[in-house]
Amino acid sequence: MWRYVLRRLLQAVPVFIGTTLLIYVMVFALPGDPIQALAGDKPVPDNVLQTLRDRYNLNDPLLVQYAKYMWGLAQGDLGENYTGQSVSEMLSGRWSVTAQLAVTAWIFELAIGIALGTWAGLRRGRLADTLVLGGTTLVIAVPVFVLGYTAQLLFGLHWRIFPTAGTDEGWPMSYLLPGIVLGSLGLSYVARLTRTSLSENLRADYVRTANAKGLSRARVVGRHALRNSLIPVVTYLGVDFGNLMGGAVVTEGIFNLPGIGQQVFQSIQLKEGPVVVGAVTVLVLIFLLVNLVVDLLYGVLDPRIRYE
Amino acid sequence: MTSQRGVRRKVAGVVAVALAASLGLSGCGGDEAGAGDGTFTVGHSEPDHLVPANTTSSYSFDVITELFDNLMTLTEDGKAVPLAAESVASEDQKVWTIKVRPGQKFHNGEPVTAQSFADAWNSAAYGPNAMGANSYFSYIKGYAEMNPEDEDAKPKADTLSGVEVTGPDTLKVTLNDPFSQFPLLLTYPAYAPMPKAGLKDLKAFDAHPIGNGPYMMDGDWERNKQIKLVAFPGYTGPRKPKNKGVTWKSYSSADTAYTDLRAGRIDVLQTIPAAKVPEAKRLLGDRFLARKMSTTDYLGFPLFDKRFDNPDLRKAISMVIDRQGINKAVYNGDYFPADSLIPSIIPGHRDNACGELCTYDPAKAKQLFDKAGGFKGTMELYFSNAQPTYAQWMRIVANSLRDNLGITDIQFRQVPASDYFSMLREHEEKGPYRQNWEADYPSPQNYLENMWGLDNRMGWENKQFNDLIAKANKAADQQQAIALYNQAEDIAVQEMPMIPLWTWAGQGGRSDKVDNVTITPFSTGLVATDVTVK
Amino acid sequence: MTIKEPDAGPPGAEPEPGPGPGDATGAAGTSAAAVAAAGGEIGRASLWHDAWRDLRRRWVFWGSAAILAVVAVMAALPRLFTAKDVNQGCDPNAAKLGPSGDHWFGTDLAGCDYYAHVVHGARPTLLIGVAVTLFALAIALVFGLLAGYYGGLLDALIARLTDVFFGLPFVLGATVILVAFPSHGVWAMTLVLVLLGWTTMIRIMRGQVIAVRDADYVQAARLLGASDGRIMARHILPNAIAPVIVVATLNVGNVIVGEATLDFLGVGLQYPEVSWGLQLNQAKDSFIDHPHLLVFPAVFLSATVLSFLMLGDAARDALDPKLR
Repeated sequence: MWRYVLRRLLQAVPVFIGTTLLIYVMVFALPGDPIQALAGDKPVPDNVLQTLRDRYNLNDPLLVQYAKYMWGLAQGDLGENYTGQSVSEMLSGRWSVTAQLAVTAWIFELAIGIALGTWAGLRRGRLADTLVLGGTTLVIAVPVFVLGYTAQLLFGLHWRIFPTAGTDEGWPMSYLLPGIVLGSLGLSYVARLTRTSLSENLRADYVRTANAKGLSRARVVGRHALRNSLIPVVTYLGVDFGNLMGGAVVTEGIFNLPGIGQQVFQSIQLKEGPVVVGAVTVLVLIFLLVNLVVDLLYGVLDPRIRYE
Repeated sequence: MTSQRGVRRKVAGVVAVALAASLGLSGCGGDEAGAGDGTFTVGHSEPDHLVPANTTSSYSFDVITELFDNLMTLTEDGKAVPLAAESVASEDQKVWTIKVRPGQKFHNGEPVTAQSFADAWNSAAYGPNAMGANSYFSYIKGYAEMNPEDEDAKPKADTLSGVEVTGPDTLKVTLNDPFSQFPLLLTYPAYAPMPKAGLKDLKAFDAHPIGNGPYMMDGDWERNKQIKLVAFPGYTGPRKPKNKGVTWKSYSSADTAYTDLRAGRIDVLQTIPAAKVPEAKRLLGDRFLARKMSTTDYLGFPLFDKRFDNPDLRKAISMVIDRQGINKAVYNGDYFPADSLIPSIIPGHRDNACGELCTYDPAKAKQLFDKAGGFKGTMELYFSNAQPTYAQWMRIVANSLRDNLGITDIQFRQVPASDYFSMLREHEEKGPYRQNWEADYPSPQNYLENMWGLDNRMGWENKQFNDLIAKANKAADQQQAIALYNQAEDIAVQEMPMIPLWTWAGQGGRSDKVDNVTITPFSTGLVATDVTVK
Repeated sequence: MTIKEPDAGPPGAEPEPGPGPGDATGAAGTSAAAVAAAGGEIGRASLWHDAWRDLRRRWVFWGSAAILAVVAVMAALPRLFTAKDVNQGCDPNAAKLGPSGDHWFGTDLAGCDYYAHVVHGARPTLLIGVAVTLFALAIALVFGLLAGYYGGLLDALIARLTDVFFGLPFVLGATVILVAFPSHGVWAMTLVLVLLGWTTMIRIMRGQVIAVRDADYVQAARLLGASDGRIMARHILPNAIAPVIVVATLNVGNVIVGEATLDFLGVGLQYPEVSWGLQLNQAKDSFIDHPHLLVFPAVFLSATVLSFLMLGDAARDALDPKLR
């Protein structure tokens, strides 16, 4: 078991370095001048430009810059942006917003998704099944921003069930509507995966055996079929948690949540490289860790899997 | 060589850093606005710096103008009057004698002297200090020696030779050329004085500026959260506060700030997002604060590209821009279509100075266009991504160029705000570009010389224009100066190297806990000292 | 908003750790393997034949095909639907009007006829969706085949590279590139979407190839002295391709949503291009007062994506004999 964990961690290292290098190169090698960006519409004297470039290592070769950055990162330092603010400080308040949003969305897709999927899977080919399939396909087809604005208009402004925007009312109230919107896509996939997987497993030999033994329907489904069916669902939920953290740009924008996605999106436009790289690096770390946890969960769900 | 704060403001608005909203709002429940202690709260975006010479952001100015008294300040109608100075005078508009009003103190007790100003300006103008408003000191003799052309060279001097302290309270300032608008330039926040303690440690000063103004810092700058100011008991100047203090709260999103104004969590907001304006007018009633602004949008031509050489082509393009229609479609009809190169709040503005050249007239435009020999190649339109509205009105302009002038090959070049001005500086644009200008100080010179004068962005050269500006800069009498600036303006209109489009409208609001809220269209912004708290 | 397919499985779900959790592939993976295996036994002609016979009986298939046909005609020959050109005859003084006899869908922010613009918006949207998927499919087929068949270093390299790109948040990654190159048209957008979206299908392809490469008929071909190239082309590819085709169909819909999202954020296509995403971008500030700006492009966009999804679903069901 531990050897396996260690091996997976070692495998994650090149992926981590690759992804951060990729984003670093994308941010710093592409055209654009962060120092000029800082000044806005203002002619900056050349000697001022030069001083600032030196201060932020912008005159070093790219790989040296990257190495310096990773060295700082290893010591827990995400660097500073070009107005001298610490990146970790800039991001610190934003992580909690994004995390609360992602967790809300995640719980929503996990609970409702599996419930709907099970319902449809048990009634394959009947009305419930058709409803779930049609509904989820529709949700996947409608872009999240259309869904977001419609939800905001109806539940926020029209019926006033939820706050329209902002984090004023804290968790959970302020995060419910955005969480549902953000999680709706994942929910659809979870429901569909659960449905397919469950209905496949219900025809498997072991289910037939369990039925033959005279076990109750609830026990057969809950204890045997569903548990096995959840393996692909767990895989998906793992991948999706990373997506929820990194993909909340649109939802955060619509609902005015000051999270990571908004910050990174603004920083990209302003060529604030250190902020972009810092935030994406942490996102990639989360992504890799969640996936490791998911792999370990397989063993719990499927006793046939043993880690060497 | 001054800045265009309009865009700068927008850039800052986007960056405007800020977990503020989350920290500031959820963390500070007990921090309700106007909690009966005689102070009030204003929302804005996070400033970049608080060292006066290290910023050109209007969000920094919000705070700096309350912490510092400059030598001169502006009246509500844009005239320069002494503030920390007793007098500012010159015979030849080149050598200026400044008397500092004696008996003033910094917040730490240090006396304010002529030396406090000289030290601050030297520090600001010294190239290696990399101060944000460095270029605002280029008028003063000795600037060139402190900022060598060659970027690796060491400057020959570390003080401005044109600034001499001739007595404890007197300064003699020598400029490179006669400049009658110098008293107006002195109102610009970068010209604030600094105490000795501040110059020793600029980083500490940035977090806790020590000024000579009506308010002083209450604790350090809480980054991305707020800056608390309280009335300075030792203040002797004319701006005695009518309240006990003001807190500037940082917001990353204008929408959130507006929501908080409605909820009474802040008392004043200077800018309500355009999309929310119709709703705000309805909800706030007389607490909606409309004001004129100096920020004006322009469309410049790259004259180094021979295709734009003919003034008739440029006039034709100006005359197919439906300024009224765009104002209605994009800005709810709240903006002010331009009828002059200079916005209406600037002394020296003349109604309809641009005349038919700024009036939508497709038929006449087509005639001029044909007379100019049409246009060949791709018409590339440049603008930055700082505001979504830029693309919206550019589309209307492009449609009109196509429908009315028959230019079919049109491409948008939407450049990141970060790269936009370096692109213009390098003359990399191949077509008309959008830019704006927000007055540093209310003078036609600030617009005309910066945008149409020597070494301008378009590459437009007109000796007659430059001579008129130089002559106006020398004029001792303001009326005479303005008449000369107007003559120069007429030349720029007839040549039309840059088309004026419209002047922005300022749309703010206040809560019912405060009154007497005045927001000036100049760098002084909100007149915090006049606000009364219920 | 993400174009990552859930069926792709996490980066960790590689079959390297032997009988470990790596073997636990997604639902689609298992059923797809079954398709492939079945394909090998039954023979591919009859698999595709059966699938077609099955598809023909489904109304979902015909419904989505009909919608897509209309959208495709709209993209190819917009003149059949509207006499107006893009951005023609617009009047800013008549902006944001609601639907009327003159303007069936009302007018947009620039005072242009919204119906004409919605019709013209079909082309870039559809073009990008299909082109990105085709390129990604080509990459998946070639490299997935090589990686799965040869294994070893090449496989490890491709797998790690896939992981690297898979871990990158799509919207943020695309924004970085698009903001740096502001003058991008349809093809540059296609390139960016391929760059960030090629990982989905290659994982499935590779899994498929691994599932069939040791099948009896492949062993037989090898014993008969067939070359690697011939084995891959004649035996492995036809038996591994079905699930990849299904995912590709679904992927078209996802790419379209991804493209619209980038347009919506203001970093995608721009004038003089028109697309549904761009229209939604312009609608976002004024949809409360002018809902028609949001509704029309949203309906067209959703209907198109929905059709691709249902088509993909129908194809999956038809190709999956186990569920029949």
